Amino acid sequence: MGRDQWRAALRNPVGAAAAGLLVLLAVLAVVAPILWGDAAEETDPAALSQGSTSEHPLGTDALGRDIMLRVLVATRYSLGLALLATAICVVAGVLLGVLPAVLGRRAGRLVTGTVNLAVAFPGLLLALFFAVIFGVGARGAVLAIGLAGAPSFARLVQTNVAAVSGRDFVAAARLAGVGRFRLVARHLLPNIGEPLVVNATVMAGSALLAFAGLSFLGLGVQPPAYDWGRLLGEGLDRIYINPAAALAPGVAVVVAGLAFTLLGESIAQVVGVRAVRRRRPPVGDQAAAAAAAGSAPETPGDTVLVADDLRVGFPAPRGGWTYPVDGVGLTVRPGETVGIVGESGSGKSLTALAVAQLAPDTADVTAARLEVAGVEPRGRPESEVRELLGTKVAMVFQDPMTSFNPSMRVGTQLAEVTRVHEGQGRRAALARAVDRLRTVRVPAPERRAHQYPHEFSGGMRQRAMVAMGLMSTPELIIADEPTTALDVTVQRQVLRLLKDVQAETGAAVVLISHDIAVVAQLCERVVVMYAGRVVEELPVGQLGAAAHPYTRALLASVPDLATDRERPLATIPGRPPDPADRPEGCAFAPRCAFADDACRVRPGLAAVAPEQRAACWHPRSQPLDLVLDVLSGGRS
Amino acid sequence: MRELSFEGTTVRFGSGRSALTAVDGVDLTVPAGSVVGLVGESGSGKSTLAKAAVGLVPTTSGEIRLDGAPLRTRRDRRRLQLVFQDPHASLDPRMTVGESIAEALRGRRRSARAAEVARLLELVDLDPARARSLPSGLSGGQRQRVALARALAAEPEVVLADEITSALDVSVQGSVLNLVRDLQRRLGLTILFISHNLSVVRYVSDVIAVMYLGRIVEAGPADAVLSSPRHPYTRTLLDAAPAFGVALDDPVPADDPRLDTEAPSPHDPPTGCRFHRRCPIGPLTRPERTICAETDPQPGAPDRPHRSACHFASETLTLEVPAR
Amino acid sequence: MTTTPVTPPTAPVTPSAAPATSAVAAWVGNPWARFLLRRTGRLLVSLAVLVTLAFLMIHLIPGDPVRAALGVTAPPDLVEARREALGLNDPIGVQLADYVRALFAGDLGTSMTSGVSVSETIGQRLPATASLAVAAFVVVMLAAVPLGLAMAVLTRGGRRRGAELGFTSTSAVGAAIPEFLLAVGLVFVFGVTLGWFPVAGRGDAASYVLPVVALALGPALLMARIVRVEALAVMDEDFVRTARAKRLPPLRVHLRHVFPNALTSTLTIGGLLLSGMIVGTVLVENVFAWPGMGMTIVSSILAKDYPVVQGIVLVYGAAVLLVNLVVDVLLALADPRSTIREG
Ligand SMILES: Nc1ncnc2c1ncn2[C@@H]1O[C@H](COP(=O)(O)OP(=O)(O)OP(=O)(O)O)[C@@H](O)[C@H]1O
Ligand code: SF4
Ligand code: SF4
Ligand SMILES: [Mg+2]
Repeated sequence: MGRDQWRAALRNPVGAAAAGLLVLLAVLAVVAPILWGDAAEETDPAALSQGSTSEHPLGTDALGRDIMLRVLVATRYSLGLALLATAICVVAGVLLGVLPAVLGRRAGRLVTGTVNLAVAFPGLLLALFFAVIFGVGARGAVLAIGLAGAPSFARLVQTNVAAVSGRDFVAAARLAGVGRFRLVARHLLPNIGEPLVVNATVMAGSALLAFAGLSFLGLGVQPPAYDWGRLLGEGLDRIYINPAAALAPGVAVVVAGLAFTLLGESIAQVVGVRAVRRRRPPVGDQAAAAAAAGSAPETPGDTVLVADDLRVGFPAPRGGWTYPVDGVGLTVRPGETVGIVGESGSGKSLTALAVAQLAPDTADVTAARLEVAGVEPRGRPESEVRELLGTKVAMVFQDPMTSFNPSMRVGTQLAEVTRVHEGQGRRAALARAVDRLRTVRVPAPERRAHQYPHEFSGGMRQRAMVAMGLMSTPELIIADEPTTALDVTVQRQVLRLLKDVQAETGAAVVLISHDIAVVAQLCERVVVMYAGRVVEELPVGQLGAAAHPYTRALLASVPDLATDRERPLATIPGRPPDPADRPEGCAFAPRCAFADDACRVRPGLAAVAPEQRAACWHPRSQPLDLVLDVLSGGRS
Repeated sequence: MRELSFEGTTVRFGSGRSALTAVDGVDLTVPAGSVVGLVGESGSGKSTLAKAAVGLVPTTSGEIRLDGAPLRTRRDRRRLQLVFQDPHASLDPRMTVGESIAEALRGRRRSARAAEVARLLELVDLDPARARSLPSGLSGGQRQRVALARALAAEPEVVLADEITSALDVSVQGSVLNLVRDLQRRLGLTILFISHNLSVVRYVSDVIAVMYLGRIVEAGPADAVLSSPRHPYTRTLLDAAPAFGVALDDPVPADDPRLDTEAPSPHDPPTGCRFHRRCPIGPLTRPERTICAETDPQPGAPDRPHRSACHFASETLTLEVPAR
Repeated sequence: MTTTPVTPPTAPVTPSAAPATSAVAAWVGNPWARFLLRRTGRLLVSLAVLVTLAFLMIHLIPGDPVRAALGVTAPPDLVEARREALGLNDPIGVQLADYVRALFAGDLGTSMTSGVSVSETIGQRLPATASLAVAAFVVVMLAAVPLGLAMAVLTRGGRRRGAELGFTSTSAVGAAIPEFLLAVGLVFVFGVTLGWFPVAGRGDAASYVLPVVALALGPALLMARIVRVEALAVMDEDFVRTARAKRLPPLRVHLRHVFPNALTSTLTIGGLLLSGMIVGTVLVENVFAWPGMGMTIVSSILAKDYPVVQGIVLVYGAAVLLVNLVVDVLLALADPRSTIREG
């Protein structure tokens, strides 16, 4: 947790208020006993058990002592005892939590088991248990509360330690010969520091409350000493006479407890993910960069997808907006297969989600023109878009493991599509689901339809995903890295399946991949994206004549089974820019060997050959050295 | 320059029904000063084999030797260094690059260490000034270079590289591969290079070994294995590799619909030949080959070309589809 | 060789369905039996540990517990006689064996101060405590789950920042107020000031209102927070995106895809809260002079009446273990993967 984060935690109003309160309490704890310690002990036989008077604003207790002063003076004892208990809890918890990492396997398991057993019991029960053993009184209560909190703290440490020790850098350190203790000190503890600090803070709050509870029950601080809990217990007996006597210490306990808890929580929030606010960007911002934006090529005849100057923006963490998709133009004709390639973060998935009207809630999607399956979704309410698009666009996502609902049978998930959109009956829909599973060659589809997703292998799940898209007759299938999570042998099967489906249903397919060779196998046309923009667009057969320096570098730097092993691979220096600081002009310029002054202005997509367009001021014309003779791609 | 050899290495996880033999009697030699590429699907046991070598997972049986001497102690194993797949997870986010590398350097004085760190960073084409930056300030490719430098800092006899380019951007992968080749040539390293990507393995390796369900099913000189594979699984991998020049329509034996069965579970591997339920020339397409389902081809492997674990290894595998 | 024509396909040599075997056998038969066996084993171990600890409690107390209970002025022969009667002079192994044997016979010993049998006391006090805890738990579940889910739906994707801030901050504050302080506040407002509800004792339904609210409010807010966070996390999952891609109406997406998957963690937390509430009754009972076990254990601790404390700790502990068992079984039922994962 860096200094910035601490500062951010304090800048948050809740965090700031909590921290301020704690400072106030600390000051009180120091000065109150010095200033009023004696006055709080003074008995006033003339004013026994009084309500609020001008002399005693909160009244007096049974011996005539001033309650307000007693509450203030009790701050030191209450806080001190709570912090002591917290310290015991944290020390014991960290020891118990780290022990399994230091001990051998068997002893470690024993410790873990013991902690797990103890965690099952609520803290108060443990505290009562220990209070019996250590005896009634402040010392016993400190020990009881500290030890009662230790198991859950130990568990927290254990989970965090386990998470960190599972990471590769710990394994790497072990391999490098780092010893156990150094491993704990240098690698494990520093990396779990944040959650521990957060939880110790919260723990201090609950220790305070627990202490008040024990004292209230008469098991904690014993007279003549007093803390808030004790004062509360005494006050409760006279709540009809003088409510303030019970309420004042109660308020003190709650306020102090909350201060710790809220501080802990606001630290946790800063450490964790910050919530993104849903806003609209200022209008001027959107229009600014549109000058050279990619427009969809003029296409005669009909299309299933037209996107013109598509922009997807997110509010930036430090204010303002970033546009991971920045003026993309895309056209897909009916029955066409188009591949979108680009590196991670180039905006491929976001483009696909945006055109399918599935962009995240926080995203701001704009376009000069957007038409999907004959529907113009912009400006329509969500429910209408849902109705109009219905089953016209099918999606296949990257990770088949997580893209199915784990608690619903596969058949039911498929059947849901037609039950909702076509009002089909349960049985008919299920029969259709089985039929579609058979179409995508899932073996034993009847049995499979009744299984849960986790009983499917990755490849089978991806097929089932395709089958889900086929429950109706889609006009457009968007497959976002459908094979990236799969093995090569399965990848080929899924690609072929997509191809067969395309041939049988006549649906257009948009295939997104980072692997240009995969795209080349299935598609007729390739759209290359870089840093949120389309940099080149060309028929697969013309890949050897790619004109954009990025496309060419990409083709040359990826080894395939024909790459010359004696020559070093071509490389692209540097790395792709972050959408937040994309260079002005051509985004590829910092990595481009041909960049010059002209490239400071953003190039638009311009025709370089029939059916081929590139966004570059200096398109290349020399053919590339690729094995292109058989490059028939997906065109049959 | 040392030779790393696995002899009958077996790694078993769990017990009872959930037991799983991740690595099953692997014999494999990585000759001194050469690069052996290990390919196979996810879950075939590649990473487990590497982890067993460095002692991150215990072996159930078999021996792992360095120049013939069995590796037993942690000290022995330090002469092997593993480079991990995910460069974002393999560096401690709280240690500077220099500290991470220095940790692996032992028995040197402070000043000597700094110089050594600088030398190592230069070796992996990084600016020595980077020693002071935290991993969060580096790109994936740069982190992977740091991870390589850290491995080299321990002065290993053998480097095991486990999918070191899989988590990298495609435009960065090439430079890391170049670096691996370059380092190997300059330092004469012995490397076991693991990847699921046949093209990548082919680019850096002298010898290629193919793993399937915990076993090495074929191993031999890279060119020979790729040009005339002796195990149908290798053939399937080659056919499936997406490459310019191979269209999806090209018929390959593995597309036979009769082979469209589920992938076998590693908890319950098939009898006989482990590949027989997916084998394009196995019993599913040629019912007379009952031997495949009955007799394990592994024991006869050393006598077959490329040590192939297939009863029909001497057959030439072509792209022709067996008749239905 | 590869071109050799082959006879038409006959049945595959090995049945390809082998790994999945019969779905029924795989689900209901083996894993369930093993799960229940394992879980029961764990319960027995926990119970054994609990009994041992309760037994050891007396022995861990520094000094002589009988002397402590009877006071410094008690004559030595009285102390000795009482020690003998309690069996404290036997070897510790014998004592443990006796203790366990008596336990199986339902005998938890007799109170040192009143001489009444402990099981009888517990039998009288348990219903009051149990009814309080169960009522509070029902209130928590009925209030918190719908509230949490509704807040999740309303505030998803950064919508309605105001409502979100209001909910998170009130619930944070509410959940941080301990039950006994809340109880005091409720007594003051509704008992003393407004006089709507009785402030002490157990009687008709009205007497339940304040104790139940005091016990349930904090856990309910905590639960609602957690349900909301869990539901929001599920909404970010890939499969919810899949559901949206199917263009399902939002209600269906939430009811069929989001909520069932947020259920598991809700259950886990619910179990923890119930355990906490069972023990939380101790404090609330003492505020409201509720004639349950909580009142008894506190007065017994103060009176150093150890057999009673022992007995009540055992009952609380056993109740907690039972809740854990029920939650685990429910979890296994709700999430078919969990039984497999562990097994
Ligand atoms: N919900 C979001 N909030 C903020 N930024 C986002 C969000 N979703 C995506 N981004 C950013 O948008 C950029 C493009 O993301 P996208 O997922 O489209 O890339 P991609 O080309 O599909 O990459 P990959 O190959 O890794 O799938 C990334 O920089 C990413 O960080
Ligand atoms: S516009 Fe300039 S910098 Fe950009 S790719 Fe073309 S030549 Fe390179
Ligand atoms: S042994 Fe039989 S099944 Fe196995 S690979 Fe060889 S031909 Fe195929
Ligand atoms: Mg993506």
